[in-house]
Amino acid sequence: MDSESKLVNITIDGAEVAVPEGTTILDAAARLGIVIPRYCYHPGLSAPAQCRMCLVEVEGAPKPLPACVQQVQDGMVVSTDCVEARKARRSVIEFLLLNHPLDCPICDAAGQCMLQDYAYETGQLRRRAVEPKVVLGRDHVTSEIVYFGDRCILCTRCVRFMDEIAQEPVLQVVNRGHYGYIDTMTDELFEHPFSMNIVDVCPVGALVNEDFLFKARSWDLDQTPSICPACSQGCNVALGTKENRVVRLKPRFNPEVNSYWMCDHGRREVVRWGAGMRAEVPMVREADRLVPVDWSRALDAVVEALQGAAGGAKAIVDPGASNESLYIVRKLMDQAGFDGGGFRVPRGPQYVLKGFPKLALREDRAANARGAEALGFERVDDIYGAVSGHQGVLFVLEERLEDAPAGFADGCALFIYIGSVLSPAARRAHIVLPSPSFAEMDGTFTNFEGRVQRFTQALLPPGLARPLWMSGSAVLARLAGGEPFSSAAAAFAALADEVGAYSGLSYEKIGLTGAVSASAESGATAS
Amino acid sequence: MAYPYEHPRESRMLSQYFGDQDAIGIDGWLERGGYKALDKALGMAQDDVIQVVKDSGLRGRGGAGFPAGLKWSFMPKDGVVPNYLACNADESEPGTFKDRELMRWTPHQVIEGIIICSYAIRARHAYIYIRGEFVDIVRVLNRAVVEAYERGYLGPSILGSGYELDLTVHTGAGAYIAGEETGLLNSLEGRRAEPRVKPPFPAQRGAFGMPTTVNNVETLASVPHIVLNGADWYRQWGTEKSPGTKLFSCCGHLQRPGNYEVALDFNLKDLVYDLCGGPPEGRELLGVIPGGSSVPILTVDELDCDVSYEGIEAAGSFQGSGGLIAMDDSTCMVRAVRRMVEFYAHESCGQCTPCREGTAWLAKILRRIERGEGREEDIPLLLDIGANMAGKTICPLSDSAAVPVVSSIQKFEYEYMAHIRDGSCTAKR
Amino acid sequence: MSDAMHPAIAGAQPSQRAEKNPDAPLFEGAYKERFDHILTRYPNKRAALLPVLHMAQEIRGWISPETMSRVAELLDLTPAYVRSVASFYTMFALRPVGKYLIQVCVGIGCDLCGAEGVAERFLELTKTRIGETSADGKYTVVEVECLGACAFPTVVQVNDKVYEGVKAEDVEALLKELD
Repeated sequence: MDSESKLVNITIDGAEVAVPEGTTILDAAARLGIVIPRYCYHPGLSAPAQCRMCLVEVEGAPKPLPACVQQVQDGMVVSTDCVEARKARRSVIEFLLLNHPLDCPICDAAGQCMLQDYAYETGQLRRRAVEPKVVLGRDHVTSEIVYFGDRCILCTRCVRFMDEIAQEPVLQVVNRGHYGYIDTMTDELFEHPFSMNIVDVCPVGALVNEDFLFKARSWDLDQTPSICPACSQGCNVALGTKENRVVRLKPRFNPEVNSYWMCDHGRREVVRWGAGMRAEVPMVREADRLVPVDWSRALDAVVEALQGAAGGAKAIVDPGASNESLYIVRKLMDQAGFDGGGFRVPRGPQYVLKGFPKLALREDRAANARGAEALGFERVDDIYGAVSGHQGVLFVLEERLEDAPAGFADGCALFIYIGSVLSPAARRAHIVLPSPSFAEMDGTFTNFEGRVQRFTQALLPPGLARPLWMSGSAVLARLAGGEPFSSAAAAFAALADEVGAYSGLSYEKIGLTGAVSASAESGATAS
Repeated sequence: MAYPYEHPRESRMLSQYFGDQDAIGIDGWLERGGYKALDKALGMAQDDVIQVVKDSGLRGRGGAGFPAGLKWSFMPKDGVVPNYLACNADESEPGTFKDRELMRWTPHQVIEGIIICSYAIRARHAYIYIRGEFVDIVRVLNRAVVEAYERGYLGPSILGSGYELDLTVHTGAGAYIAGEETGLLNSLEGRRAEPRVKPPFPAQRGAFGMPTTVNNVETLASVPHIVLNGADWYRQWGTEKSPGTKLFSCCGHLQRPGNYEVALDFNLKDLVYDLCGGPPEGRELLGVIPGGSSVPILTVDELDCDVSYEGIEAAGSFQGSGGLIAMDDSTCMVRAVRRMVEFYAHESCGQCTPCREGTAWLAKILRRIERGEGREEDIPLLLDIGANMAGKTICPLSDSAAVPVVSSIQKFEYEYMAHIRDGSCTAKR
Repeated sequence: MSDAMHPAIAGAQPSQRAEKNPDAPLFEGAYKERFDHILTRYPNKRAALLPVLHMAQEIRGWISPETMSRVAELLDLTPAYVRSVASFYTMFALRPVGKYLIQVCVGIGCDLCGAEGVAERFLELTKTRIGETSADGKYTVVEVECLGACAFPTVVQVNDKVYEGVKAEDVEALLKELD
């Protein structure tokens, strides 16, 4: 708290609190754990005070006041739950339900709908109006987002997101008064790399993502904190999962990284990940065929192969691999003599979110290029050229090798593939270790500006897939002594000890909001 | 139109040249003493001009009755950012038609008031926000503005004083809510005319984010007279709290409808029966709305008060815009209220939930009652909806919509009951 | 039109005329000059939106989506925004209207004195329904809120001309007079 700003003492619902001058009643109440109902107010947007849901009684004021904009004054006495405040809230719900279709059974918002929530809270459950309801249709506003006019409560959060945060005012209120509805320009759709945030901010089911439409009920979803892996921004997200699949991504608030927002690309990409054939079992090459084995035999094979290895170790890694996985690969390579490793980063155009320019869909379309660099791997254009003719040990970590040239890794004495999908080139490996996707394990990514952030396990990995910090550290323990890591946190702790950029960091310190590392120094690993 | 019935009991300060074609142009206006007040004002200190208007007790004539001089004194004087004046000529309150006459017959009176006010509040640019439907009046106003520029009453160094003022006539496009001062400011800025949350007030953040004063046409037209003749002179009329004269636009069921300018201690009953001649032959008055459809209806026995702000308030209504609407016994009160509520439903900007949804709901219930499908529970329902709409919104349109409903149920419940019980109407045809 | 050409004048001239040119360019000739004057009266382009829309309607007779897009382009606004503002105000016609836009006041002052009958008579004689244009394209009858001339009901505004004291029996003559 800024020691400069003057403190003001107020009472809300009988409880006293001291807050800095300029605080709104709504925010002051939040400090007391009182959540004043609201629709048009959103902490990331302007506060138009137009829904009138947050009206509270203030002693001495002739009318109820909107808590979202009313600043506190010393000695103010506020009541959010007196008869008048309750009546005002209840009447707002009644007004909103006058023409509302009450189609909860077929509405995606059910279970996470602020209209449902407050209707129950206020007890406004009986309809007094006998006149027929006004019916509006549904209409696409983008190619993927549908607007259901009947459900809209005209809170204008979507309008204000596009205006203030996306800074492209392409969504507007059309008409006046009770004829109003939300629309784009006549007969037009709009496209914007951050458009899906309007679905997030919509308090009801008026804006729906067609990709998610009817796929799941909100109460069926588990929410797990994670980091979006689709670019190097590292937006904090919550994975919505059902039946062991990621069904939806929503942003998590982080004022240092992505505020309340994330881009559409990440949402679309991640939902598609993990689909298709997955590597499920460890495999070992026997007489020119890959044979499924159990982990015990697989790890034996790795240990044996590395003990007899010569010719140094090279690697191709994926910039989407976690710090922990990269660290293990690095340590394994050190056992055989580190001879360099490369990664390539898929690239795309950058789109800055103008109203919150810290956030952009970054050109690096991978989560952990900086993490890979910090562990001594190099960004290259041609990952294959870097290893052609190599005759020693080759580690490939998660890079799919889908465009590998013929004869890839032909001369390698030992080719170990660690990944989740097996392309034909991957199947040329001597040993295959199936690894989980980012959603199926714990780990960290280092984003474009050096912030280390944790993602947590949301799904069960398929088959026998195990994170490398578990399997690889068992190998290292046998080769170099010491104990295998018992957790991703332990792996990171070891990593932080060795890599100067991460010194002093730990999972505890990183928490769920991340921590900034010292500027990355490449290859600062003790050999 | 609307002026033509003169009455000796009027106190004609603003309207003395209504009907006089020669008063419209600048030469005619100068002959009648025009722009002398401006000349005097430019020789005074700006704060002294504010003071004389404050001392006169002139109150806003648009409907709110806020003391004009006090409003002017809120404006910053340091000139760090530009100040603005917006003249509210969006006259849209049903039953009100006085500003149009002021602009039509004496545009220079209004312009002179605008220039004096702008000078006092240190404004560099003044806008007249006039409703777009007033096409012929806009023509007259534009002509007067051009004349004023040509003769040096507008533009750089007015009358050689060094004071510079630009005036722009800005037309609205059909929105009653643009007459609300912050709705007007948004409309002036090229936005939807949606009222703003206050604070901040226009004097802090108004047009284009700059300090702005918004005043009604009649308020500004009163200013030259006050500056020229002094505060005491102005106070010869009216009461202590409501000094001066006001134009009352009288319409509805009257023998002589029109604008009448009376001192603010004039008797309301006399205004209706003497000046306006009361209802047509053979009819009795049922009720009178003294100040535009947003104020409560007074029954005939409640009219014996003076037309000051405090006088009408004591009688149970408000002076409002001074748009007096008389309803005789041929009126179906349910129908009249339905029509008034439909107006508010049509004009609601739609921001606030209680107004946007409540006005439409009230209108639907009233239509249902009017066509004989009402129920007894509709009466308490209407009152409850009204209570849920009043005092709960950014601007008072929501309150205004509830007013005719509540006041007509209070005083004419029998009319509603007739419709509800057997679909009949007590209006005499 | 001469006052309209004065640099200080931004206000609307009749924004609904009998002659409509829906395909005329925005803005050329004298209209371009007026457009330039308008922009000098406001500190930013957005504020010029209402006067510019009035002028566009004066030329073309209505505000089409194409007109909205063009105005948006000229004022550095998005078409959606222009649509939002245009649809807020009653005077902007978002559909083509007849040669004569007949606006019958149904404000309480006129309603108390027979405005409904006047409107019905207009509909009857023009053979239209409220808001629809007659088959020959000549008339569109709409009901509007208080036109602010309540002492002589019923007030009827046809394009830019205001008629006062119109009774149902006057409608026929009024319509004849239009041509």
